[in-house]
Amino acid sequence: MATIIDINEEKALEVKDFEFTYASADAPSIKKLNMPIAKNSITALIGPSGCGKTTLLRSFNRIHDLYPGNKYEGEILFKDRNILTAQEDLINLRIQIGMIFQKPTAFPMSIYDNVAYGLRLQGIKNKTELNDRVEKALKSAAIWKEVKDRLKHDANGLSGGQQQRLCIARAIAVEPEVLLFDEPTSALDPISTAGIEELIVELKERVSIIIVTHNMQQAARVSDYTGFMYLGELIELGRTEELFVTPKEKLTEEYITGKFG
Amino acid sequence: MTHTKKRIILNNIVMILSTLSAVIGIGFLFWILSVLVINGIDALSMTIFTEEGAPPGYEESGLKHALIGQLMIVGVATFVGVPLGILAGTYLSEYGQKSKLSETIRDISDIMMSAPSIVIGAFVYAVVVAPMGHFSGWAGSIALTIIMLPIILRTTDDMLQLVPSTLREAAFALSAPKYKVITQVVYCGAKAGILTGILLGVARVAGETAPLLFTSFNDNFLNTDMNEPVASLTVTMYNYATSPYEDWQKLGWAAAFILSMFILSLNIIGRLFIMNKKGK
Repeated sequence: MATIIDINEEKALEVKDFEFTYASADAPSIKKLNMPIAKNSITALIGPSGCGKTTLLRSFNRIHDLYPGNKYEGEILFKDRNILTAQEDLINLRIQIGMIFQKPTAFPMSIYDNVAYGLRLQGIKNKTELNDRVEKALKSAAIWKEVKDRLKHDANGLSGGQQQRLCIARAIAVEPEVLLFDEPTSALDPISTAGIEELIVELKERVSIIIVTHNMQQAARVSDYTGFMYLGELIELGRTEELFVTPKEKLTEEYITGKFG
Repeated sequence: MTHTKKRIILNNIVMILSTLSAVIGIGFLFWILSVLVINGIDALSMTIFTEEGAPPGYEESGLKHALIGQLMIVGVATFVGVPLGILAGTYLSEYGQKSKLSETIRDISDIMMSAPSIVIGAFVYAVVVAPMGHFSGWAGSIALTIIMLPIILRTTDDMLQLVPSTLREAAFALSAPKYKVITQVVYCGAKAGILTGILLGVARVAGETAPLLFTSFNDNFLNTDMNEPVASLTVTMYNYATSPYEDWQKLGWAAAFILSMFILSLNIIGRLFIMNKKGK
């Protein structure tokens, strides 16, 4: 019954018959979900609280694995392999698929060390290379001008919006292919939000982006594709302008017109 | 009488009672401190730090033996107890989490924290001193380590759990393996709290007398061999203060003063760390 459009472009990820069950739950939180994610574009996931959109997002880098007992079924294809297998090298996967969280997660260290963190994990020790890549990442995240004179300062001294851009810089420094955004602006003021949205749109030239958002205007503003989820199912996936103007599913229409949710 | 009036009167009664209780409580603290300071400063002199114990009546007597002995016993206990406590706390918070084993360890260390220290002294006497056949500084350090361990373990556990889980997730999402997440990110976020736990743990054992009576015993002269009985400020203070000789009693006051100032400053530094952390 779901309406899922075919994506003719190259795909970054493909979800096939995916089910996810939390350790403490009897029933799956995501049920038989199928969804293509287009490469170098922005896919937004919308839906009411508890619909499973964040759960789905957190499956793409298998961050659920930190908590024992969570169960995946089905497939998520990335570069022609199913990343849900036990053999999957999670460290390697998380280098290629980065994540930005709802609240800024600046580490309790300097601004420089925050951005260099992922690079150092990859074994980059050369000072010049580190400096270059930190600068490049901070520039891409549009925060270089604000922090270039205080790279050695504690990152927790930055404002919320700056911290979130720092986290984006930290994530793109390792040059991932996919970036997952989990409601990245819900803790920020409107001006910082606009800055982050602009940045996300710029980033899609280099990475494929999936963004979970509670804010439908945000989905409409930034994304190329939008998926509407409800009760653990993908109800509709379409090009953003079509989904918001001429939704194919009744549920989608009711949600975007504010009848529930 | 109107309802409002009644409420105002009741409010005033409760306020006066609670203020009074607080004043009484704090009053005792200042009373103790002022008696200590008056008698302690009076007893202080340079020879306290340069001379060892002497028979009553000798001019040249001091607490050098007890100060050095105290540092050795507490130093060894800290050296063993701190890494052990931090590692155990790390296990509870980061690996065991809510498992049955870690919940049991948490319960047991909470009980251990309130165990009478004299019981721990008696235990170390039975398993270390009696088989060795004599008192020793090592035995004293072991007793203090046992007392310190649950304090450091539980504060480390609590402080690590205060680090938001999103911070851990963010480090994992950047492809960090677990041991690096813990040592580079989680410890970094909890370092002020862990340091506070260490300071409070050291302060707690530095003031212990009962377990040392059974273990390191005492020596009126300087002894740096941890295999033999070693003097400590607390036991020396107990012996001198209860002696009938006035000059020994004076040394007892000096010991009490030095010990209290040491523990007070550890506590204040520890609390400053906590305040600093909250301020951020």
